Amino acid sequence: MTNTQKPKIGIFSLTGCGGDQLMILNLEPILLDLLSRFEIKDFQEASSYKEEEAELDIALVEGSVSTKTDLEKLKKIRERSKMIIAIGDCAIGGCVQAMRNGQMSMEERMRKVYGVDVDYYDVLEPKGISSYVNVELEIPGCPIEKSQVLHAITSLLHGDMPEEIDYPVCVECKLNGYPCLLVEKGLPCLGPIITAGCDARCPGLGLDCIGCRGPIRDESNVAAELEVLLEKGYDEEYILNRLRFFGGNFEDIQKLTKRISEKSKGRRNSHEEDS
Amino acid sequence: MSVRNVLVPSPARILKSEDMTDIEKHIELEILDKEFAKRFVYKPGQFVEVGVMGVGEAPISICAARKKEDLLELCVRKVGRVTNAIHRLKPGDILWIRGPYGNGFPMENMEGSNLLLVAGGLGIAPLRGVLQYALTNREKYGTITVMYGIRCYTAMLWRDEFLQLFYEGDKNNVEFFLSYEDPSDKQCYELQCERSDRCMSGVVTKLFELKEVKPENTYAVICGPPIMYKFVVQELMKRNFDPRKIYMTLERRMKCGLGKCGHCIVGSGRNMKFVCKDGPVFTYWDALMTKGMI
Amino acid sequence: MYKVLPKENLQSLFEGLRKIGDVYAPVKISGLSHDFRKVNSISEVDLEYTRTMIPPKKFFVKPRETLFEFDEEKLQYAEVQNGGGLNVILGMHACDINGLKVIDAAYINENPDKYYMQRRESTLIIGVSCTPDEYCFCRSMGADYAVDGFDLFLHEIGRGYFVRIGSEKGLRVIEENSSLFEDASKEDIEEFKENERRKAESFKLELDISGLQDMLDLAWDHPVWEETAEECFGCGTCNLVCPTCRCYDVADYVELDLKRGERLRRWDSCMLRKHGLVAGGLNFRPTRVERLRNRFNCKGSLVNGLLNCVGCGRCTLYCPAEIDFVKIMKRIRGEP
Repeated sequence: MTNTQKPKIGIFSLTGCGGDQLMILNLEPILLDLLSRFEIKDFQEASSYKEEEAELDIALVEGSVSTKTDLEKLKKIRERSKMIIAIGDCAIGGCVQAMRNGQMSMEERMRKVYGVDVDYYDVLEPKGISSYVNVELEIPGCPIEKSQVLHAITSLLHGDMPEEIDYPVCVECKLNGYPCLLVEKGLPCLGPIITAGCDARCPGLGLDCIGCRGPIRDESNVAAELEVLLEKGYDEEYILNRLRFFGGNFEDIQKLTKRISEKSKGRRNSHEEDS
Repeated sequence: MSVRNVLVPSPARILKSEDMTDIEKHIELEILDKEFAKRFVYKPGQFVEVGVMGVGEAPISICAARKKEDLLELCVRKVGRVTNAIHRLKPGDILWIRGPYGNGFPMENMEGSNLLLVAGGLGIAPLRGVLQYALTNREKYGTITVMYGIRCYTAMLWRDEFLQLFYEGDKNNVEFFLSYEDPSDKQCYELQCERSDRCMSGVVTKLFELKEVKPENTYAVICGPPIMYKFVVQELMKRNFDPRKIYMTLERRMKCGLGKCGHCIVGSGRNMKFVCKDGPVFTYWDALMTKGMI
Repeated sequence: MYKVLPKENLQSLFEGLRKIGDVYAPVKISGLSHDFRKVNSISEVDLEYTRTMIPPKKFFVKPRETLFEFDEEKLQYAEVQNGGGLNVILGMHACDINGLKVIDAAYINENPDKYYMQRRESTLIIGVSCTPDEYCFCRSMGADYAVDGFDLFLHEIGRGYFVRIGSEKGLRVIEENSSLFEDASKEDIEEFKENERRKAESFKLELDISGLQDMLDLAWDHPVWEETAEECFGCGTCNLVCPTCRCYDVADYVELDLKRGERLRRWDSCMLRKHGLVAGGLNFRPTRVERLRNRFNCKGSLVNGLLNCVGCGRCTLYCPAEIDFVKIMKRIRGEP
């Protein structure tokens, strides 16, 4: 694309912390150069200027759909955009907001938090944006990695779809030669099932992976992670909560949750019969 | 160090880039480095790694017999990042070439024999090289039978060229059969009405109903989507073909072309092959000996 | 010709090696792991290590490297100059030396990879003897002894090291440090032989490899692949820590000016999803079942007559799912 026809871009937030927009702003040394290649129609964290009706070549969307307002906003973005890129875990799978998905109804969650079953907000069960609209590309992370978003944007400017990372953190640990925290120290590292791209930052610092980039869709063997951690002596509920922290909306984790809750229900029932 | 870097690509200028279908382009390239061009001797069935700077490389089979030292013809289907980028380029633009790679078809072995070429869809591209080679050296080969399976008329590659063979090939002892999968395709139906002995609807193996194929003194050469091989081979084996006289060219992820990157590996411990280096042309005998090949 | 390096001369030899170039040697980096690192003093080196997590193949096939810097305006792919000069790897075990020979077969014998060759030729390899642990089965794979593929090999004996010379380069090291070496006495030779015999007897793990290739072929539809796929993460660890695995992937990264950029190469793994995936979406090894089967078949196959596994034990030891390589191979053989 030449300078005479700069692609029109919008950067939007739904429900989330705004950290992914912030990561784009954090590209400080090259930020101006980067942004000068676009016509920016909306970038809330950078400027109050916006053109609400403008057609967009690329919309970067962070945040989950957690309210009906989010959904309306998202649908409008979809209508005016040629391409939507989900940036960050919230936009991909709901992230921490989706921690209880498939485990607890929204009503129950509202009751637990607010003590009444009045719908204060126009809440929806938090989900990633691809649950509602077609999404051309996803950039995982909580927050996203600067390098990855830059690679994505540069590739798109060049005319190509960026290559998505679909291998786990273990790969990056090995490329860096970091000792394995799971194997050597028995730490509850989620590296084997979590999308790489962080260059194994935490394991490199001796911290076990908590899964902030989410599992790899249709690939990660979360049941095996449960088995391995059980074997190492971790409590089932602890493991499940750990898996659900960033992966609550992930299908295989929900299946696992269901399996376990049915099993424990069965255990409870048989226990009651025994006594 | 005197060792040549086999990973360095060589620039080639696009002379022609023509749409053959919605997703396939016929591209003619001129190799710019004349030293490289001299080394660049290829035979039908070989492939090249074609690169676009900043995007990457993809293996593309060479779709014509070698005519001129610095000329190269490719058929590129738009399916991934690299091929999409190739489609964006225009005449005058540069592509980056490594190769030629793979074993290619043993045209010499087949001399003195009849040829049966069976192609499905894009599979016609490498077989076009075989066909051109055989037609250029017409006296060396017996009857040439082509079975070409397409989805519909608009998906037919090199349409003018092949329709001419369809109508007039017999003059040159070439029998050209055509099958089409979409029964509602009007243009194909017209072809069928005109030459019901040469064209019918259905998958490519249906054409064995139109042509009595005999194994004597005949080599079969197959290329098409992975699913096709089993069915074509079945037809040939029913007719007692020698598994060593059935050639197939296979698709795999051939990232390096040099047998190093490992992606195109196939087979069991008994017989492991790198499709890019040991193939992409294999006999059906190889497939019988190599698990998972087809 | 055989020599002896008395223990007290090891430090001086180390200093001698440092004159040749940077010295890399096994360093303890965690409770379980060693790694080959650049060392400045012999005190950093642990020659009694059992194995490193990442094999020394990393010096020859780099985990990540820039193949080329490209420039659209200059119309070129420029090689990146990698320093040059000699390096020394001190303390490679026989299994890793034999593993490198497997990679040589793929990277040098046909269409040599220039970068690999340069590194291979500019590296001095000094082997060191070792004691097998419960994961080692190199003897079963015929990789417990390095016949060649090194410049010098140090076998520990009571008074130091019994030294084998594997190349002219190795001989030159001896010549340039001749005062440090002594001729091997009859007793030294006897001790060397005795140690080799004792090592051979000390293996706790064995794998029968006779007919392994056919056993694997016959096990194509064995339930072991599906069962193991249930446990396996498909994380690639087994490949990345393997001294003979050498699959790589390549990707282009373009800079913001859209003209310049780099072509990068990094280790790949056949356990990862994209390994068998072609453009258009067809995957020739779509699930962990096919990928596991492929990996075991690959490891049990021969490259130029060399087995693709040297029995170092890393894939079993470092597998987060504790998948046991030898157990699976025994199962497909039909052993109890």
